Amino acid sequence: MTKMTRRSFIKTGATAAAATLAVPAFLPSGWYSFAQAEAAGYFEKEFGITEGLCRKVLARALAKGGDFADLFFEHTISNYLILEDGKVNRAASDVALGVGIRTVKGDQVGYGFTQELGEGAMLAAASTAATIADASAKEPAGKFVALKAKNFYPVKTLFSSVPLESKLPLVQSTNDKCFALSPSVAKVNVVFHDQQKRILVVTSDGIRAEDLQPRSYLAATVVAEKNGKRERSGWNYGGRREFSYYTPALVDNLAKLSVERALVLFEAIQPPAGEMPVVLGPGVTGVLLHEAIGHGLEADFNRKKISTYSDLVGKKVAEPFVTIIDDGTVPNLTGSINFDDEGTPGQKTVLVDKGILRGYLHDKISAKFYGVSPTGNGRRESYQHFVIPRMRNTYMLAGEASPEDVIKAAGKGIYVEDVANGQVKIGEGDFAFYVSQGRLIERGQLGAPIKDVNIMGNGPKMLANIIMLADDFEFHEGGAGACGKGGQTAPCGFGLPSALVKSLTVGGVKG
Amino acid sequence: MKQELYDLAGRAIQMAKSAGAGDCRVSIGGERFVEIGYRDRKPETIREASTKALRVEIFVNKRYSSQSTSDLRPDSLRTFITNAVASTKLLAEDPFRTLPDPKYYQGRSAVDLRQYDPDYEKVSPESRHGFVRAIEEACLAKGGDKVISVTARCYDSRSEQLLMTSNGFDGYQEASVFYGGSQMTARDEGDRRPAEFAGAVTLSRKELPRPETIGAEAAERTLALLGAKKIKTETLPIIIENRVVSRFGGGFMQAMFGRSIQQKQSFLADKKGQKVGSPVLTLIDDPFLPGALGSGTFDNEGMAAKKRVMIDAGVLKEFYVDWYYSRKLGWEPTTGSPTNLIVPPGKRPVKEIMKDLRRGIFITGFIGGNSNSTTGDTSIGIVGQLFDKGELIHPVSEMNIADNHLKIWQRLAEAANDPYPYDQARFPSLVFTDVVVSGI
Repeated sequence: MTKMTRRSFIKTGATAAAATLAVPAFLPSGWYSFAQAEAAGYFEKEFGITEGLCRKVLARALAKGGDFADLFFEHTISNYLILEDGKVNRAASDVALGVGIRTVKGDQVGYGFTQELGEGAMLAAASTAATIADASAKEPAGKFVALKAKNFYPVKTLFSSVPLESKLPLVQSTNDKCFALSPSVAKVNVVFHDQQKRILVVTSDGIRAEDLQPRSYLAATVVAEKNGKRERSGWNYGGRREFSYYTPALVDNLAKLSVERALVLFEAIQPPAGEMPVVLGPGVTGVLLHEAIGHGLEADFNRKKISTYSDLVGKKVAEPFVTIIDDGTVPNLTGSINFDDEGTPGQKTVLVDKGILRGYLHDKISAKFYGVSPTGNGRRESYQHFVIPRMRNTYMLAGEASPEDVIKAAGKGIYVEDVANGQVKIGEGDFAFYVSQGRLIERGQLGAPIKDVNIMGNGPKMLANIIMLADDFEFHEGGAGACGKGGQTAPCGFGLPSALVKSLTVGGVKG
Repeated sequence: MKQELYDLAGRAIQMAKSAGAGDCRVSIGGERFVEIGYRDRKPETIREASTKALRVEIFVNKRYSSQSTSDLRPDSLRTFITNAVASTKLLAEDPFRTLPDPKYYQGRSAVDLRQYDPDYEKVSPESRHGFVRAIEEACLAKGGDKVISVTARCYDSRSEQLLMTSNGFDGYQEASVFYGGSQMTARDEGDRRPAEFAGAVTLSRKELPRPETIGAEAAERTLALLGAKKIKTETLPIIIENRVVSRFGGGFMQAMFGRSIQQKQSFLADKKGQKVGSPVLTLIDDPFLPGALGSGTFDNEGMAAKKRVMIDAGVLKEFYVDWYYSRKLGWEPTTGSPTNLIVPPGKRPVKEIMKDLRRGIFITGFIGGNSNSTTGDTSIGIVGQLFDKGELIHPVSEMNIADNHLKIWQRLAEAANDPYPYDQARFPSLVFTDVVVSGI
C-alpha cells in the first residue's frame, strides 16, 4: 500500500467528498471534516485489511460490472450483565467479526459475506456478490479517501476498558434502589448492556469510512404484588453513551420510574372501546411516529410504490404546525450515526416541513432512482445483511400550546404515556400499538390510569388528524429498543411533544 | 465437517478447563445458505454465505456466564475463553447454576427424524432461479391489474449443530431448510395499498408446495383484503386462521415457562392440574415427528427429548422447565425448549364452521398488540374478514380484540380440520365465542 502524505490525503479527500457526498442545503458549510489519519486504521492494524486488499476484493465484486460495490467490515463486542433474584449472577458476551460484500446494479443487489478476513474467503464472497451483474468488469477507484463526519458520540473511555468490578455495583444498586422504594416490589430484573461496534466501509468509488459506535443501556423490570395481584413494568436509559452516563442520580430515576410504573397498574382500568380523541404524551410515544409514519417514508417502500405515501411528495399531509425530522446528528441518541453503513455522513433530513411532505429517507440505491442525494439512511444490522433505508432518530418539532391545554382540548378520550410492540402495514398505513401506560381523559382532565389496551389507526389519517401540539418536546432517552425491518434490527431514537390526535380506535373489552 | 465441529468443541472445552472452568457446555452452529429474491421479473437480491459461531457456557465456582463468538481464529478463541472464565469468577454466586445431572441425558431416542434432505446438494442455481421466477409469475398472473408490486423469494440452507458438555454429553444434528414465498401489494381505493404474503418452509424440497401454488395464494390473500372497512365495536365469534394461531397462542405459552413462574411473571403459576381452557384445548409437544421443523432427540441443554401432553382437554398438565429453573423452583425439569406443538384438529373445515356461526370475524393476521404473562391480559390488532352465514362480507381493518387468556381459552369452541404444516406449531384454525372486537 502506498502511504499518503497528510497533504495529498486532504486534497484527495476534499475532491472525493465534493463529488460523492450529499450535504443538505440547510447544513452549515464545513459541517463535515476529514479524519485525522491517526484516528483510523483499526482494521488494518488488527486484521491486516490494507487498501490493496480492499481494491482487489472490490475488483472481484465488479468482475461482471455493476454500478458500484462496497465492503463493510465489522468487529462488534457486546456484553450483558444480568441480575435476577438480587444478585448479578449471569453475564453474556458476543463477538461478531466479518465482512459483507455488495455489488449493486440499478436496484439489484448481490451480497456475500464471510467471517474469515483472509483474502481467499473475501474473494469468494465477492464472487458471490458479482453474480448479480452480467456485463464486463469495472475497475474500482485507484485511491480511497478516509472520511469522517462530526462525531456525535465521541468515546473517551471504551467499554472494554471499564472493569467488570465497576459495572457490577451499577447493576446491583439498581436492584437495591427498586426494592427500597416499595414493600410491594416482589421481583426485580436488571440488565446492563454495552457494545462497541467498529465498522469500516470501503466503496468502489473511493470512500473509506471508519467508525466506532458505542451503545449501551441499563434496564430494570419490576414485578409488584398487592392484595394477591401482580403487575409488571419497567424502564430503561441508554443510547450511544459511555459508562460515565450511568450516574447514581440516573439510577435513582430509573428505579423510581420502574417501580412507579408497576405500582400504578394496580389502579388501572381498561377504557371503553371505540373511536376517541387520543393525546400522545411527550418523549417515548415518539415510537408511534416512527412506526405509523416514519416507515412509510423509507424510500425503498416508495420506490416500489408499496407505501401509502408513494405519491404524496410535495403534498399537504399534515397541519402547517407539523414538522417531522429524521436525524442522525443528535448527540448520544440511540439512532445517531456519524456515517451510515454505506459511507454517507449522518445528517438531518426534513421529511414533513410545515405540513408538506418533502421527501423520503434514502440509501444510495433509492437516491439514484429518485435522482437525489443519499440522506445517510442506508443502514444494516450487521455484516451479514445488505443495506436498506432505515430511520435514525425520528421526531416531531414542538408546538406552542401548553400540555394542559392539549389535554383539555381532548375533552373525553385517553392519554398515552408509553406504548410498545408497535407494528404498521406499510401499504395501507394501518398500525397497532399496545398502550403500556396511560390515563383516561375526562372533562379535559387526566383521570384513572389505564392498561392492557391497544390503539389502532392509520398513519396518514393520524398525521392529518394531529390538531394540536404542545411546547414540551422530549427525546426518549432509552436505549434498549430496536426497530425491525426486512429481518434486520437497527437501533433508532425518537421524540415527540404532547400531541392531540382527533380520533383513533381504542381496543378495550367494553363496547 | 462433523469431525471439524467435534474437534473445535473439544478444543474449546479444553481451553475453558485450562483457564479454570469447573464445567462448560459448548454449542457450535454452522450454516451455508442461499437466498434469492425476484421483483420485476429479474433478481432483486442474491445473498449467499457460510457462517459458523461458537457459544460456550462457563460454570466456575458456582458462577455462570454465556459467551459467543464468530471469531474462531485459534489465538482469538483462546484469549476469548480465558478472559470469559476470568470475568465469570467475578460474578455473584448462584448455586443453582450447574450442568444438568447426566441422568437426564439418558434415554435419547434413536429414531430417524429426517431433518436433512439427502437431495440438498442437487439443488442448482438454475433450479432456484426457476423456482422463484415461477412463484413471481403465478402471483403476477393471479393479481392481474390490481398488482402494484410483487416480490418472490426462496431460501435454502444446510446447517449442522453440535452440543457438547464437559460432563459427558454430545449431540449432533444436521438439517436442511427450504423456503418459498411471495408478497404482493395491490391497488385499492384512495391511497390504500394492501399487501399480503404466502409462503412455506419445509425441511425437504419435495414437501414445498408447487411455486405456482405459493404465488397464486399470495395474490389471492392480497386481493381478499381489498376494500377493507372498520365496523362498529361488537361482541362476535372469531375464527383465528391456522397459520396465525401461534402468534395468539404464544401469549398463553409465555406463562408456561419455568422462568416466568419463578420470576412471578406467570398467570399460570398455580394452575397446574386445573382447567385453563375448554375441553377442545389439548396441547401436545411432540419432538419425534419425522420431517417436522421442531423435531430433535435432545434439547438445548442435552436433556433427552420426550413427547409431552402439556394441556389435556383444558387441564394444564406440564410446564416448560429447564434445568436451572427446575433447581430454583425445586421441581423436576421437563425442557426449556418447545418442539413441535400440536393442537388436535377437529372434523370440519373453516367454511362449514362459518355457516353455523352466522356473523363473525375470520382473523387472518395480527398487528401490534401485547400479551401480559403476569396477568394474562391481552390486546392485539386484527386483520381479517367479516362473515355472515358462511359468506365473506368484506375485509376488516383497524380493529382490535382484547381479552384475558384465562378467560378466552375457556371459550374455545372448536378446532377446524386444517393443521398448518409449515410451522413448528401445527395448529388448526380455532373458533372462540363472545369476543369483543373493537372498531368504530
